[in-house]
Amino acid sequence: MASMTQRLKPSWRNHPISSHLLIFHLVMASTLLPSLTSAIPSFSSTMHNNNWAVLVCTSRFWFNYRHMANTLSLYRTVKRLGIPDERIILMLADDMACNSRNTYPAQVFNNENHQLNLYGDNVEVDYRGYEVTVENLLRVLTGRHESAVPRSKRLLSDEGSHILLYMTGHGGDEFLKFQDSEELQSHDLADAVKQMKEKHRFKELLIMVDTCQAATLFSQLHSPGVLAIGSSKKGENSYSHHLDSDIGVSVVDRFTFYTLAFFEKLNMYSNASLGSLFHSYNPNLLMSTAFYRMDLYQRPLDEVPVTNFFGSVMKTIHTDSPFRVISSQPKVKESIFLGDDKVKEIDKRNIKEKRCSFHLWMEFLQKKLVEKDDSDIIVMYGFGSMILLLIVSTWLSA
Amino acid sequence: MAGTRWYWPLVWAALAFRLLLVPFADNLNLGSRPEVATPLTSLRRLAEGYWLKQSSLSPYTGSMYHGSPLLLIILGPLTVKRIESQPAHLCCSLIFVLVDFFTAMLIRAIGEKLMLTNCNNLKLLKPSKLVESFGGVDAADIASLIYLWNPFTVVTCLGSCTSPIDNLMVVLAIYGACSRIVPLAAFGWVMATHFSLYPGILVIPVLLLLGYGPDAPPPKLFPQKHSNGDGSLVHVFSWGPILQFALWVVIWSCYVLLLSSISLKGFDGLYDMLKKTLGFILTVEDLSPNIGVLWYFFAEVFEFFRGFFLIVFHVNILFMVCPLAIRLMHRPCFLAFVYITISATLKSYPSVGDAALYLSLLGLFANELAEMKFSFFLFCGYIGVSLLSPVMHNLWIWRGTGNANFYFATGLAYACLQTVLVVESVSTMLNHDRKLKKELKKT
Repeated sequence: MASMTQRLKPSWRNHPISSHLLIFHLVMASTLLPSLTSAIPSFSSTMHNNNWAVLVCTSRFWFNYRHMANTLSLYRTVKRLGIPDERIILMLADDMACNSRNTYPAQVFNNENHQLNLYGDNVEVDYRGYEVTVENLLRVLTGRHESAVPRSKRLLSDEGSHILLYMTGHGGDEFLKFQDSEELQSHDLADAVKQMKEKHRFKELLIMVDTCQAATLFSQLHSPGVLAIGSSKKGENSYSHHLDSDIGVSVVDRFTFYTLAFFEKLNMYSNASLGSLFHSYNPNLLMSTAFYRMDLYQRPLDEVPVTNFFGSVMKTIHTDSPFRVISSQPKVKESIFLGDDKVKEIDKRNIKEKRCSFHLWMEFLQKKLVEKDDSDIIVMYGFGSMILLLIVSTWLSA
Repeated sequence: MAGTRWYWPLVWAALAFRLLLVPFADNLNLGSRPEVATPLTSLRRLAEGYWLKQSSLSPYTGSMYHGSPLLLIILGPLTVKRIESQPAHLCCSLIFVLVDFFTAMLIRAIGEKLMLTNCNNLKLLKPSKLVESFGGVDAADIASLIYLWNPFTVVTCLGSCTSPIDNLMVVLAIYGACSRIVPLAAFGWVMATHFSLYPGILVIPVLLLLGYGPDAPPPKLFPQKHSNGDGSLVHVFSWGPILQFALWVVIWSCYVLLLSSISLKGFDGLYDMLKKTLGFILTVEDLSPNIGVLWYFFAEVFEFFRGFFLIVFHVNILFMVCPLAIRLMHRPCFLAFVYITISATLKSYPSVGDAALYLSLLGLFANELAEMKFSFFLFCGYIGVSLLSPVMHNLWIWRGTGNANFYFATGLAYACLQTVLVVESVSTMLNHDRKLKKELKKT
């Protein structure tokens, strides 16, 4: 980055008009900056470059089928929208698919029409059965594992990651029940998130909780960059959606059901916003209030696409030349302040550099070689002419 | 002379045999045999490299393809052409059959040149004994028939590997040098070196061929016969062809590098290509089993010593270049044969395609090497190794009842056989020269 600023300086002097525009924009930006940095520490300068999902089902026993189905439905959605298995940590506390009470062995449904088998293709469970404990969840979140823990069980996020943390099960006022024997308390969760923030393990975190009195679980959070939504407020229960008389238990919870209804309409390239997702919850249909907390999150929800957390769409730079590395980071940084049309000007300025003529000539040749789309045809002609030259020279020498 | 009547029928029969086997190439599945297809020559890797290129990635990503980009252009589109109910690389196999035919014709032409020169030289040396010198077999026909009917060549042709093209380039270089067609020799040498690195050492026999002409008895025999002041010394080194050769080498290599850089889109691509082809050959990155001796050794050598042993193995070939060149200066074709055999034994990724080449070049010297010792032992040894090696491979990899030592044992036996072949053929050739000297002294 230092070299970028060094290279920028001489070219600005050559173009007075554009340098004036730049200064004007910088002044504008500097007036806007204080408003942005009111209560929250400095604007994160890292780029969002990967998405992770931690999906936790904490209930055991057959009658908690719906919690498994919730988690598996979200797993399927998140995979469909692009997050690969390597970046999903799926924790299932019990095995409903191969439970002896399951009349549809190896199949898990979230709807009584049995249209979708959630356990069908390619489910990778990272923590199963009794491995789903409060300790393991906190270890996954904070990254404090023993050295023998394999990579597939670790949350290997970095400072550019957006993490989706989805938890479902039985919960209550400031706690979430694990395996019917222990509890995750809200201050434990807040502590873990604080550790994550200090270790730069996420850029933004979305916590989604589908339990009774879900909103109390994230009441103690105070780390910046965290967005949380729960299926019910303090004192309210979250209800299941419907009972499947064939399987014999409820197969999905209301909050997750309406979340999936929202996502089934989307594909990888949709830019539906988080705001539209959060406003799609109808308290009459949910029979509880979906409460979300955005005081720790500085971006307006209508500008954040859901694929930032639930999918995996990233900025791709298409290039035909596979060997030239285009460093895009500084460009993005400046476009935040200046807007895209100004970025092109700065690019042009970078190209018009004063280097020695040999390098200029090499660059020209390189550009010519790179720009040719039909290089294959040229090489075929070249090869043909080589053979022709060979035949002619052989005939002449013989 | 005796074989001339049956020569052309045998040639067509060999081609028909190959064409007959081409539709069954999938059943034979020779492309998966490590003796046939190496990481450098495998056609499947070429198809992968072509696909990568079509997806506008570098064809060398992922360490699959390690060959020349020119081969990608010629053979790439053919690997994709698919005809119903025919094996995958049908078009490529047909091209290889054609390439084999050209190679055999070129070997025959080389043989005829050698025989002609031999005749002329013997006429100069002993004009009274013309009848004796015409004894023996027609080495040219024998050599090209060996090339066409050698099971190694047939297997290489059908085995979806690009060795036939490498062999063609080497034979082209030798033919061009024998017939003093300098552009052809330079082209063959540049392309052979570009495709696989080791034919680079053939520059010495090619220069000797261009300078001195084809194989001749040792030069000290000649002045004795020209003591009466004939004036026409046979063994004079002419520098003209050498300079032309240097010029043409420069032209062809610039051409090849230019085409490669256009094909790979830029000079970075060229550097990448050099790293992935030459670097791959020299650093022996791929240690999958083959019929050579390097993989077993480098699988167990410590990282600290790897560089040292790489140098040792490659210099092993280079050390033999000079002494052999000095001793066999008067017989450049035979020198080329010895170099090809040595590099086939000690190269990083040998295959039976290299064996196919030198076994047929051996046939060119059938007259001089008629009294070679251990010929039956070598013949049986080659048959034994080519039968046992797939068996050991199967035992090791597929059945699990053997281990790597089984397979490496056959590899070692193969290397031994090749070494015995080289040593015996060189000593027989030198014995032949000594006998010639004795005969001339007698008269």
